Amino acid sequence: MSLTRREFVFLGAAGGAAAAAGVILPVGLSWDRDEDGEVTALVLQYPEVVVGSYLELEIGTPSTFEYPAPGQPNVLARLGMPAEHGIGPEEDLVAFSSLCTHMGCPVTEFQSDEGVLGPCPCHFTSFDLAHDGQPAIGQATQRLPRVLLRLDGDEIVATGLRRHVYGYADNLQGVGVELLQSS
Amino acid sequence: MTTPTTTVPIPPVGAVEHTTCCEYCPVACGYRVYTWPLGTSGGMTAAENALGRDLPLGPLAGGWISENMHTVVEVGGERQNCVVLPDPDADVVNVAGSHSVRGGALAQKLFRVDGPTADRLLTPQLRVNGNLVPIPWDTALDLVARLSLTTIERYGELAWGMKCYSYEFLENTYAATKLALASIGTPNYSPHHAPAEGDDVPGLSDAGIDAFSAAFVDDRAAEVLFIAGSDPYETKSVRFTDWQVAGGAKIVYVDPRRTFTADYAERGGGLHLQLRPGTDTCLYNALVLLILENGWEDREFVESLATRAELDAESKWRRVEYGRTRDELLGYLRSDADFTPEGAEKVSGVPASKIRQAAELLSGGAGPQPLTSVLFEKGVYWTHNYENTAAIANLGIVLGASGREGRATSRMGGHQRGGQKAASYPLDKSPHSVDGHPVEMDTERWLVEGNTRFRWVVGTNWISAMAGTGNLRRRVHELTHMGPQVTSTDPATALAQLTARMDAGGMVLVHQEIYANESTAFADIVLPAATWGEEDFTRANAERRLRLYQGFMDAPGESRPDWQIFAEVGQRMGFDGFDWADSNAVFEESAKRSSGSRKDYSALVELAQAQGRRAHDFLGDLGTTGLQAPLRIEGGELIETVRLHEDLRFKSGSGKANFVMPDWSRVRDRNEVLSPRTDKGEVWVLNGRVNALWNNLSDFSRRPLAAERWPMNPLEVNPADALDWGLEAGDLVSVECDDVLDQIGGTGPGGFTAVVYPTDIVPRGVTYTYFLFPGSAANNVTPADTSLQPLSLRYPFKLGRGRLRRLGVSGAVAGMSFASRNRAPGGVTDHDHATDHDQ
Repeated sequence: MSLTRREFVFLGAAGGAAAAAGVILPVGLSWDRDEDGEVTALVLQYPEVVVGSYLELEIGTPSTFEYPAPGQPNVLARLGMPAEHGIGPEEDLVAFSSLCTHMGCPVTEFQSDEGVLGPCPCHFTSFDLAHDGQPAIGQATQRLPRVLLRLDGDEIVATGLRRHVYGYADNLQGVGVELLQSS
Repeated sequence: MTTPTTTVPIPPVGAVEHTTCCEYCPVACGYRVYTWPLGTSGGMTAAENALGRDLPLGPLAGGWISENMHTVVEVGGERQNCVVLPDPDADVVNVAGSHSVRGGALAQKLFRVDGPTADRLLTPQLRVNGNLVPIPWDTALDLVARLSLTTIERYGELAWGMKCYSYEFLENTYAATKLALASIGTPNYSPHHAPAEGDDVPGLSDAGIDAFSAAFVDDRAAEVLFIAGSDPYETKSVRFTDWQVAGGAKIVYVDPRRTFTADYAERGGGLHLQLRPGTDTCLYNALVLLILENGWEDREFVESLATRAELDAESKWRRVEYGRTRDELLGYLRSDADFTPEGAEKVSGVPASKIRQAAELLSGGAGPQPLTSVLFEKGVYWTHNYENTAAIANLGIVLGASGREGRATSRMGGHQRGGQKAASYPLDKSPHSVDGHPVEMDTERWLVEGNTRFRWVVGTNWISAMAGTGNLRRRVHELTHMGPQVTSTDPATALAQLTARMDAGGMVLVHQEIYANESTAFADIVLPAATWGEEDFTRANAERRLRLYQGFMDAPGESRPDWQIFAEVGQRMGFDGFDWADSNAVFEESAKRSSGSRKDYSALVELAQAQGRRAHDFLGDLGTTGLQAPLRIEGGELIETVRLHEDLRFKSGSGKANFVMPDWSRVRDRNEVLSPRTDKGEVWVLNGRVNALWNNLSDFSRRPLAAERWPMNPLEVNPADALDWGLEAGDLVSVECDDVLDQIGGTGPGGFTAVVYPTDIVPRGVTYTYFLFPGSAANNVTPADTSLQPLSLRYPFKLGRGRLRRLGVSGAVAGMSFASRNRAPGGVTDHDHATDHDQ
């Protein structure tokens, strides 16, 4: 089955009746309800996914994970310095999309002394992860998308994304479809 | 907690599409603009959107719409979605949709009634009882015309002055100069960037070489690039990444700062020649001497240069006096020990070994000669203007860097090329001269001396953009507060009061702008201008590529395009030839005056007219590709020019190039005057661009991404200096100089404030700041005395000096990154923590 987002939302709306019956939805989907709690549509939302272990993540040595869909690379790092929107005991745990917001090249170089991701190998943008993915220098026209994180004990859980991921007009394009296919 | 998805509207099939080019740097990347009704969006498949692309897109695909590429504008009075997208189908300049951070977010520049750009100037205004109040266009235009006529009648045309951007589209500069130079005939006219009309790179011109001779394909074809006085990554980004880097040339980079480009050059097998500020002439002389002494020059090319007899026969006095043959130049270079590698090391701080390596790399040494280009910009010519441009021209000549693929000597450009004069500058009327030869009027000196009674400032934050800002501001305040102030909106009363001010020796100031800035604070009359995207305009880029910049949205409020304002005033003053129907009519008329110039577009207009078409439409059909000038017609076809001097003919009477006297002794004397005085605790205060910002920040202070990155003016300080001076990242400092050289040979205090950005980009003893940050212009500490450089009347803008005083911690920079900005790919190296020398 292959669905466009438009078709998928349509399917969701048609499934409204099932919602009231308390159908359990797969991760990534939710019912949009009005003020009275009545279901109005099936909408996409970010899935919650465990993306790492806090104890295993070394300061200055980032790990990577794919989120919200397979093939969308992100970097997870403890910067060793308090970061804007950083979580954890040291407020230094952050995660960002690692697709450059200039032209989409994967950024892999990490400068641990400054908590900087970059320069991107294509056009050399560097992103300051301690300052919410702000481009320190370079050609990107927006900050890196920040992955929203929660700590569940040792588990690092991704719960969503702020800002717009390179290549997408809708960050969750395809996500619901794949989840629907697998459910 | 659930988090909704993030989306950006996609232009649907049927969205209205226009083409334009970036407003900012001289590369001028091509853009596509889509407008369509609110509440609709295209789909994710190629068949469902106007981009004709399936989403999501892969790396380097082009066509992705970032959050800052979308906005909401008014089209025909209706609010619409608007996307300004780097043209993913571009086949020149920014091939496949490459872009810089500046152009990439052009959408954020556009007027949006509910956004940060809502404070555009919307109506004409008159200062009444100290406040600017809205007045009708008729009143404003009548006042400007009548005050102009009165000025000329009572005080002559030299008292009527215009300060106008040199670049903001061919139609506007043509109309401005038709009024100022052709109709009024005043020499009191100067561009936004200099106190006088005239040549920015006189040394290069006296060598016979056109300042914009290169094409971007030459950057890619070159095997070695000599890049001086410009950081192309920060200032001409796509030219660097997509042409210079893409070509794989080894880069010899000359800059007192170890910038990103410097790091990139050295990691790629090139060199960074980290010279002391103000020592370019000596360094280039040393390179030329090494190349000539070793016989590494392009002999054939050097042998083709003008002889002494040919130089003496030249009609330009400067070329006769300063033109040099090979033997004459060699004699001079051998006469001064400063030009030996060891001598030049002592002067410039660049190790002699590096100077030798550079000479060998550039010329090929004893091996085959590589394709070498010599590229430069303001760090070279806004310091020691004549001598540096002469010395770098000589370097280009010994390397044979001219007129051949991969071999050019050229400016890289500061702005795009949007100047087209309607008449020659009336040099014979200029009150200023050098050695008995007339030179263009130093309009700032003339004004400060009290000779300008009426000044019309067009599209520039003039006072902060000129050197010696502090003194200029004090003087403008005096001149505009001399005699009566306007106390009524009644036009007759206002006219009488402003005329009485001129009679009292004061000055009336008109400011034509898109936003109010520091110069508007002194304006008596404000005229709101329409700009990029709001009217059809044309302009060329740094490789002489001419394109139509289409209007696609409503101009805000009552704003009008500049050409129309000049036309209205011209007609009200009683001049003929200001009755253009539209901007295309101005463009077509201007073509004749472009004839013979580097951006000659007369053939384009001729061909369009022969086909019964509007020239704008003809050019518009060529989209973001446009045409590379000069243009000519052969067999009914329009022929473009990739590079200049391809016939190895140069801009001189003989058609030959020549060396030019690179007089180091003059520079040495000037450096004595300009250098920081250690007994006063001064350091160099250099200035220039930062890649995420542009000019006076009229657009960029209103862009969230740029304003968050640079909430205040940064001052780069070497970390070791910061430690010594007790400064930390984010500290607010005052940069002060007690005796900045002013416009009339005196001195006065000047200063600005900035936040400390510790970085090894600058060596010890050197600081660097953004050149034109609102409210803290670097020009408050740059010298404005043109008698230092009488040959060309250019300010040494880059050579400021001052001492630093810590004011405290700045609270405004909490979210600002202080990360390194000069690390090229490949990881941290020793270079990141060391410089060749301390100043």
